[in-house]
Amino acid sequence: MTALLRYHAALLLRSQRWLPPFLLYAAFLAVSVQAGQPVLDSLGYTAAALLPVAAWLARICVTAEPQAARGCVAAAVGPARAHVACLLVALSGAAALGTVATLGVTLLSAPVASDHRTPVPLAPACGAGLLAALVCALLGTAVGALTSRPLLRSRGRAVLALLLAALLSLVATGSPAQAAVQGLVTGSRSGTVPLPLLPLAAAALVTAAALALAGALAARRST
Amino acid sequence: MRPDLCLENAGRRYGLRGPWVLRGVDLTVSPGRLVRVEGANGSGKSTLLRLLAGIDAPSEGRITGRPRTAYVPERFPPALPFTAVGYLTHLGTVHGLTRTGAARAAAEWLERLGAAAYADTPMARLSKGSSQKVAVAQALLGEPELLVLDEAWTGLDTDARAALERAVAERTTAGGSVVFVDHDPRRLAGLPDAMYTVRDGSLVERAVPGPSPSGPQVTVEVQGPPDARLPDAVRRTVTSAEETAPGSHRLTVAAPHSDVLLRALLTARPPWHVVSVARQADAPGSRR
Repeated sequence: MTALLRYHAALLLRSQRWLPPFLLYAAFLAVSVQAGQPVLDSLGYTAAALLPVAAWLARICVTAEPQAARGCVAAAVGPARAHVACLLVALSGAAALGTVATLGVTLLSAPVASDHRTPVPLAPACGAGLLAALVCALLGTAVGALTSRPLLRSRGRAVLALLLAALLSLVATGSPAQAAVQGLVTGSRSGTVPLPLLPLAAAALVTAAALALAGALAARRST
Repeated sequence: MRPDLCLENAGRRYGLRGPWVLRGVDLTVSPGRLVRVEGANGSGKSTLLRLLAGIDAPSEGRITGRPRTAYVPERFPPALPFTAVGYLTHLGTVHGLTRTGAARAAAEWLERLGAAAYADTPMARLSKGSSQKVAVAQALLGEPELLVLDEAWTGLDTDARAALERAVAERTTAGGSVVFVDHDPRRLAGLPDAMYTVRDGSLVERAVPGPSPSGPQVTVEVQGPPDARLPDAVRRTVTSAEETAPGSHRLTVAAPHSDVLLRALLTARPPWHVVSVARQADAPGSRR
């Protein structure tokens, strides 16, 4: 599995197709997060914006390999493992991006609540931001996995479904990502740092199920 | 001994209500067997090979006894952001080799296929034939137990085609199974243990012409101890053997198997002496 992950990571890095989502994410953060703003608010934006980026990254990983090359790898390790490996690489990429962004945003932000008076400790806030970012990376990967090959093969429909699903996972009540981001925002209003462990567990479960489903279908619905 | 790879009543269709591409396929591939699959364009040969290689799962029926598998697709895309040797090293580790082992095997197979000069060329700049060599090397470097070749010879130059035929002979001698599709009826002529035709979505077994010398042959004259029997490995490989004088034998072997035969002779205990090796006059139109 390590060899497989290394192969897919190299494929992603060298293809440079990761660049557009990363740039879009950086641009969004540059516009919406400013130095000296309340830390939990900014971390909420950072986590929320990561979800569509993670979904896009998953789509990039799944579609990066030409079909014939995919066949060679699938013959060696089985199509399910090959497919899950490339989704795991996408998840790692999104998680790494989210970590860097969260750390950077924490350093730039002011350790206060929304009222700019109540103090908010930076270290726990950063921890909460990292957990929320991870929730969004997980859920974004699940969205990407469920809205691309092998589940949706027509490109137009897949992109539309990806955008809709990413938006829904951010705003629909009951979604772990919505809960995690909402936790940061309400925490900023009240000046308490939330600990989004329940959303994290839910997101991990949803993502594991999505990856398992996509992997299981990889052999049944190829081409 | 690893189990046979078995397809039991296997069928495949694309989509939930798509037409059946293949149906009711029963096929057993035992270790060490060479299997040829034929059929018209679009008859479902490639679908069958993808089932055998484990890339696709059957829509009905089942497959048991999955060995370590490698697959060579018909057309290999150069749109990969690696150099030839970089890609092969990655694939070698995916096939279970260590990184150093994979790099060594990659260099060796590129050299055997006559593509050593392109080792550090980015895949995107390889010609069609050279990228097909990379596809072939990718499958061979892990010494798979099952090798599935979907028109792997297409696009290769003459030397690389012969090298691939020899590599197939090596795999089967080492106990690996090889399943191949090729449009050239002379490809590995006289060597397959079983032949099948895919017709109207089902698989028909064809009679294998006996071990007739139908492909290019090599004559090897050998000398052993006066009343020694030819080693078993040699008997299995040759198309014909005659004792010309006590201890002297004249062996005929299909050209792809000649290296395998010589290796068997020279590594026998005690080793046999190779007096001469000569290519037989080729049958018309069967230039190697």
